[in-house]
Amino acid sequence: MNRFFRSGQPAFAQLGPLEQRLMREIWSRGNATVRELLQAGNLNIAYTTVMTTLDRLYKKHLLTRVAEGRAFRYSPSVTQEEMQRAAAGQAIRQLLESGTAASLPLSYLVEAVSEHDVQLLDDLQQMVERKRRELHKQETP
Amino acid sequence: MFALRGLAVSLALYLILYGVLSMLVLWGWGLAREAGKRLLATRLADLLFALRGLPVAAAAVVTLAFVVPSFLLLEPRTSAEPVGEIPLALGACCLLLLGAGAFNAVAAYVKTSKTVAGWLAGATVLPARDSVPVFRIRPGVPALTLTGVCVPRVLLSDAAAAVLSPQELATALQHEMAHAHRRDNLKKLLFRFCAFPGMSRLEAAWCEAEEMAADDAAVASVGDALDLASALIKLSRLAPVHPAAALTTALIHNSPASVNARVERLVAWNERRMPRSRRRALGYPQAALLGTLLGVVATYGAILRDMHALTEWLVR
Repeated sequence: MNRFFRSGQPAFAQLGPLEQRLMREIWSRGNATVRELLQAGNLNIAYTTVMTTLDRLYKKHLLTRVAEGRAFRYSPSVTQEEMQRAAAGQAIRQLLESGTAASLPLSYLVEAVSEHDVQLLDDLQQMVERKRRELHKQETP
Repeated sequence: MFALRGLAVSLALYLILYGVLSMLVLWGWGLAREAGKRLLATRLADLLFALRGLPVAAAAVVTLAFVVPSFLLLEPRTSAEPVGEIPLALGACCLLLLGAGAFNAVAAYVKTSKTVAGWLAGATVLPARDSVPVFRIRPGVPALTLTGVCVPRVLLSDAAAAVLSPQELATALQHEMAHAHRRDNLKKLLFRFCAFPGMSRLEAAWCEAEEMAADDAAVASVGDALDLASALIKLSRLAPVHPAAALTTALIHNSPASVNARVERLVAWNERRMPRSRRRALGYPQAALLGTLLGVVATYGAILRDMHALTEWLVR
């Protein structure tokens, strides 16, 4: 995943609509040639457009390819999950680099994570108190 | 040469047995995990501990009771037979595994001792309520934890003592006493001796089951269960979950999800679900073990001959 950050590969959101669509198609199939993608009927685009877009994704290191006859068979070089994690990592990195005090955005993040736990503990506390009240009612009819 | 061959063959067979049994245990636990959730926490914890120890115990028993005697009794001492590359390689791997386990255990023990010594700086002993002494410590973290492998001690932080009500503190201490009586820190040390890839999953499940078993042991009524649940919540707020020292047992040591599961379990506590102290005179496992022992005694000679044939095959 760090490859994304080192080589400056784009996150999913930074891809164009057609690039995103083709990445989704290839993730769902595992691998595909241009012809197979067009034959599936989901894409109403010219052969050359698909070919050029896949070539661009290959050059962005998001796809790998092997020659198959006169065409190429493309496979994803990253999983969908890796791509999402990379995007989250990139967003956090941008957040950390955004302020003059680097610790400030990090503290927001910690707060956001802690808030989830605090909410959970509040809910649990309420559950215990509710049970205590029920117990108290049963003991004092 | 005779002694070297005997050692190499014994260690090689130990390694093979240990590896195969460990993989079988992991595979079996993967299949039986869901069924295990229906067991009482104490039984599940005992079962997991037995499963975790089974490969090393069974491999040691088979090696000492069958492999070594079969070699000593049936192998000609004057034989010019070479040791063999496979037994030598496997024997060396076995020694490495045993050495790594011993190093792992000693390192964890030393590291934990240092950490606990730091926590105990300036600590005071509280009046004894149980055979296990309770120390009041100055650091806020850990809030409440059990330390000591052979001589257990409970450490209670000033902050934890301040936020817990007397009833909550009493049940929380009972929880730690239960860990002490079940020798959980000693069990953790034993796990370190017998490392095997993938066993951490089984150990995590055992840890979870031990926490629930200690919860059950600390609770005798619905009121106690609610007090312990409340203590769990308060201590979770007080000290966020952090990586504890390896050979200690803290009241809160796991993820918020685990605290959630334990609190929900305590809120739904029911006296009828608790284990009965009545014990059967002889259960099926004990009867099966007795039968197996009798069978082994009756056929010991034949087993030794077969075992020797197996070791011969391994050497060739």
